[in-house]
Amino acid sequence: MYRNLTIKQKQIVWAWAFLAIPVLFYGVIRFYPTGNAILISFQNWNLLGTRSWAGFDNYVKLWNDPVFWKVFANTFIYLLLGTPISLVISFVIAYHLDQLRFMHGFLRMLYFLPFMTSAVAMAWVWRWFYQPVPTGLFNNLLASVGIGQISFLNSTTNALPAVLAPAVWAGLGFQIIIFMAGLRAIPKSYYEAAKIDGVGWWTVLWEITLPLLKPTIVFIVVFSSIGFLRIFDHVFNMTTNNPGGPLNATKPLVLMIYDTAFTGFDMGYAAAQTVVLFVVLLTVSLLQLRILRDK
Amino acid sequence: MATLTLRDLVKTYDKTEVLHGISLTVADGEFVVFVGPSGCGKSTTLRMIAGLEEVTGGTIDIGGRVVNNLEPKDRDIAMVFQNYAIYPHMSVRKNIGFGLRTAKLSRADKEKRLEEVAAILDMTDLLDRKPNQLSGGQRQRVAIGRAMVRDPAVFLFDEPLSNLDAQLRTQMRLEIKKLHQKVGNTIVFVTHDQVEAMTMADRIVIMKDGHIQQVGTPSEVYHTPANIFVARFIGAPSMNMLPAMASHGTVRLDTGTEIAMPGGADGAVTLGVRPDDLGVVAGVPLTRGRVTVREPLGPETLIYVDTGAGGEVIAKADGRTPPEVGAEVTLCADPANLHLFDPASGQALR
Repeated sequence: MYRNLTIKQKQIVWAWAFLAIPVLFYGVIRFYPTGNAILISFQNWNLLGTRSWAGFDNYVKLWNDPVFWKVFANTFIYLLLGTPISLVISFVIAYHLDQLRFMHGFLRMLYFLPFMTSAVAMAWVWRWFYQPVPTGLFNNLLASVGIGQISFLNSTTNALPAVLAPAVWAGLGFQIIIFMAGLRAIPKSYYEAAKIDGVGWWTVLWEITLPLLKPTIVFIVVFSSIGFLRIFDHVFNMTTNNPGGPLNATKPLVLMIYDTAFTGFDMGYAAAQTVVLFVVLLTVSLLQLRILRDK
Repeated sequence: MATLTLRDLVKTYDKTEVLHGISLTVADGEFVVFVGPSGCGKSTTLRMIAGLEEVTGGTIDIGGRVVNNLEPKDRDIAMVFQNYAIYPHMSVRKNIGFGLRTAKLSRADKEKRLEEVAAILDMTDLLDRKPNQLSGGQRQRVAIGRAMVRDPAVFLFDEPLSNLDAQLRTQMRLEIKKLHQKVGNTIVFVTHDQVEAMTMADRIVIMKDGHIQQVGTPSEVYHTPANIFVARFIGAPSMNMLPAMASHGTVRLDTGTEIAMPGGADGAVTLGVRPDDLGVVAGVPLTRGRVTVREPLGPETLIYVDTGAGGEVIAKADGRTPPEVGAEVTLCADPANLHLFDPASGQALR
């Protein structure tokens, strides 16, 4: 039977044969749990007992939960601070690193190292940096120049930026590499032509480099946004005695989901939060792609 | 409008010298083509004139002013790049206008200048398009437009036609030549294609390994090549080189043929004859051999003849009745069209 197929049909048969494994994998490992989570969000379940139908109860509860709104706001603060800050810093570093020849490889390695480091280990080291005198590095430095102590992780206003800082730092290496690849792809002659035309570096940056980097920027914005919306390990490890504290000041949505599911064992409620996170991620990504897309 | 003078121009990268003292004067309004195989230093020379490469030694003088240490924008030049270097995210208008960014002109004057250039290049209706909506030839014209709009003293072209297909290349060649006749600026044009050099140049500069081999009009370099390299580089197919012995005004070929030639050469010489000048009908017999391959070109047919000791020789035969492959032929040429070279130094003997 196989013999009688045309070349095109044979290709299709083989393509599906090879695709079958990932399709099966995605079906079982990704799509089935996703569907199940959506289903559970309409049920009450304590992980061991029987499930009972709850309708929209979980969503109504979510809507009326002040903690959820606090957490929702935190998540967007992580996104709105983290993405632009890391974008600007990584571009500035990549832009200058690209023009540097001396120790180029070594410096690039230094910037990439945090990306390869375990988030847990890094969070604990940074947590130690933030301690008061005499343990904490930052407060020791401040004390040595005569500036008062700053409570980084115990203040409701400072804690979120303090947790965000290592998360931004950890992602820089990857973004720098992507930016540098984007910068390398711009033909040298564009810059040479601009040099002959005599325009300044600011014009070159704004009218040549950045517009030509747009696809790179879109990629980095979308990826880092997804990363910041899903922030968890840095927060969890830097605030272990009171996850997401103080007073939920640092708690992101993923941590709330984790808490609800594995501390409160309210799987239905946690699933409802997951669905909300999913919708948020989808909306933000689609919006960014739409706004930044080439006309 | 200006003259361009290069004096003992030297360029070294690290410790390798790639240009070994180039000296050349380009007259006002002259169209000069640098031609040579890749790595001969022609592009480096052009980029040094543009100010994109540092000058290691010697001077560059544009319009009576040494520009060695001037920024490209202050040198009164404009350059057209091999890949055009037109910005894909800007319209044609903005691309051409980019050359006027720093010009001290009012907005209206800039606009007027832009329209003028667009009119000369016949692309007024393309001004609002993006580069990806243009054909290769149109992109080329945008790149030329951006250079023209600055009204520079010297135009620099860095192999601008090599990305175009053969037909378009011929057409753009003609357009650039016409443009030069119309605007009359000094042009320095770099190419590796000897046909481009021959057809466009007022004067050709032939380079090899960082040295100038010969400077002359297309006719001079074709008819009186300075050395074997120039003789073989200019003209297609390449000039045939036959071993010969000279004594007392007579050249004796390995094949036994003797030709009377004025000139004081004695001993071993290399006899050059262009395939165009070598035929099976008229002239004195030079060599004989068996036809191995025929290449019909329509009006004529190129024949490859194995002459034994003299190696393979290319000659021209009639397009309608060329000799058969395998046929024994005697190749003849007019003694006036023969060139003599010193086999050791490669220099022409006159």
